[in-house]
Amino acid sequence: MINLIKELTNAYGPSGQEEVIRSLIQKRIASKVDEMYTDTLGNLIAVKKGPGKRIMLAAHMDEIGLIATFVDEKGFIRFSNSGGVSPFIAAGQRVIFRNGTIGMVCYEENLEDMKDLKMNRMYIDIGTKNREETERLVNPGDMSVFVGEALEQNNRYISKALDDRIGCAILIALIERMGSTENEIVFVFTVQEEVGLRGAGPAAYGIKPDLAIAVDVTNTGDTPDCKPLAIDLGKGPAIMVKDNRTISHPLVKDALVECAQQENIPYQMEVLNVGGNDAGAIHITAGGIPSGGVSIPCRYLHRPCEMVDKNDVENTIRLLEAFIKRP
Amino acid sequence: MDTADLLKQLCAVNAMTGFEHRACDSIKNFFEPYSDKSWIDCFFNVIGYRKGLSENPKKIMITAHYDQIGMIVTGFESNGFLRVSNLGGIDTKAVLASEVTVHGKEDLYGIIGAKPPHLLTEKETQKNVKLKELFIDTGLPDATLKEKVSVGDPVSIISPVVSMENGCIMGRSLDNRAGVAALIKILEQMKMIKHEHDIYVVATVQEESGLLGAITSSWDLTPDIAIVIDVCHGDMPEADKSQCFPLGKGVPVGIGPAFHRPETKVLLDVAKNERIPTQLCIEPGNPGTEAWAIQISRTGIPTLEVSIPLRYMHTGAELICIKDIEMAAALVAHYSARKAGETLNGENQ
Repeated sequence: MINLIKELTNAYGPSGQEEVIRSLIQKRIASKVDEMYTDTLGNLIAVKKGPGKRIMLAAHMDEIGLIATFVDEKGFIRFSNSGGVSPFIAAGQRVIFRNGTIGMVCYEENLEDMKDLKMNRMYIDIGTKNREETERLVNPGDMSVFVGEALEQNNRYISKALDDRIGCAILIALIERMGSTENEIVFVFTVQEEVGLRGAGPAAYGIKPDLAIAVDVTNTGDTPDCKPLAIDLGKGPAIMVKDNRTISHPLVKDALVECAQQENIPYQMEVLNVGGNDAGAIHITAGGIPSGGVSIPCRYLHRPCEMVDKNDVENTIRLLEAFIKRP
Repeated sequence: MDTADLLKQLCAVNAMTGFEHRACDSIKNFFEPYSDKSWIDCFFNVIGYRKGLSENPKKIMITAHYDQIGMIVTGFESNGFLRVSNLGGIDTKAVLASEVTVHGKEDLYGIIGAKPPHLLTEKETQKNVKLKELFIDTGLPDATLKEKVSVGDPVSIISPVVSMENGCIMGRSLDNRAGVAALIKILEQMKMIKHEHDIYVVATVQEESGLLGAITSSWDLTPDIAIVIDVCHGDMPEADKSQCFPLGKGVPVGIGPAFHRPETKVLLDVAKNERIPTQLCIEPGNPGTEAWAIQISRTGIPTLEVSIPLRYMHTGAELICIKDIEMAAALVAHYSARKAGETLNGENQ
């Protein structure tokens, strides 16, 4: 699993530029599914055929990033965020552009109070001497993503972009493990989740599934002095009840709980009043598609050191495996 | 059926937004006697259908949401306390010291704990309590509580329904059971009068948490015209008069970009003919109701809105005037019973 995670998290894929990560997934699963195609927006859709219900499982391929907006005379790059990037997190990080150019994210030195740190006081330094040199490598519109290679330590996976490459890894593992299926399982690797759940809705519109599950990460409440949240790393996948976007369809939610109980899989219930995932977009597509979510507890979301638990990942696969077998 | 009795029965139903599946059957029971057919869709919208006489009937959809605001369990504190978050627009200052029902494996009684004024810091006296600071006291030992309740269980506010002077009713969830009562009165009246067009009366879900029921039902039914019945603010001291409407003085009718102008004019003409008083409810943009979602469903649906003035919205002591429900229902029933020759969608108007 760690090798798959390394491969997936390492692949470049900010919102709207998912080609690299998509082709990587495509190659990996091509021989194991009955049908595979990419839709207009770039969602990768892979089908395991069956005569029963059509179930859509969605994990987003895209990751948060920084987009270059301006190159100054001395070659420094000003930028804006694509998806939820905090300036405090970005400061001091390395980022990588599509062509492999590495940049250092820095901020203006005359900043008196760290509270005033905003993106417009920050820049990316790629070590060039002037605008011409920079523009040979990076131009406005080019996007970069965090650097932060995956590692496994103390039964945890740590990496940038585990949101939501861990979801992608889980779907891939499921494809590889499952045999033939009664239900028709449509695996969707979605685009542009981080900029407002843009990909999942149109994908669902095309697929018209009977029901859908978003497989994404969720926050935890188990770190020192953090905001209270009844989700801990290592206590099992979180079955979504509600986030700020959706209240899960009760029958989908209940079915997931039932599967977890039957299979003796540890699980937690997820109630958030912030954020939303692909389920939110799918839920209201084409007159409504009953949707829910299975979330992998993840510490340090949207940082290059996102951390998930190995057992949670395994148990998420088991839970989904049981769920898609339900008549 | 007596409107006050009907409303009291409807208010006894618990349908927290997102958890309407526990209550949809009881709403359907109210629709059944007056409908040619009634059903519950896969999102738990409840539909009452009356067939029209015309050979080429248009579809008229009339909606009122039946979900109510509530809370949801987010975690446990020791000594029998629960942490909660909101289901819909909870006003934290209005729920302090409320009695509640925690809908766990079984219904449990609880109260929302309120820190006494003696213990409030000066800073705390100056601002509202935050949602994350709220807690429910169940009095149960921790082990029992964890056995009976889990994170994600819904919570409802307990509040009696009281008949007051001058035809007023006070209670919780009158937003929008008052609208649902109007739906039932409409079905009742449509049964007595000949109507040309097909009528779909829809009690919708999840208005309080993102208009889901309006989105799904309008797509499914694809009506030629939609009428939304919801509550608006009743007049009260200290409140902006332009956003409030006196009780019992006429049916507020929505005017603005969300509402189909020519059909709204027809609606107002019907009111004039039937001597039903109206008021104009001006909405410059998003009216914050289902109309906003229905209007842009599929290729667009001409949408109208009639309101029922309600005081103290989203508290446990909402107040409405029964007459307002009856007038709104009469107006929508007469409008919906229009002749077959009269086109919908504003053509030839």
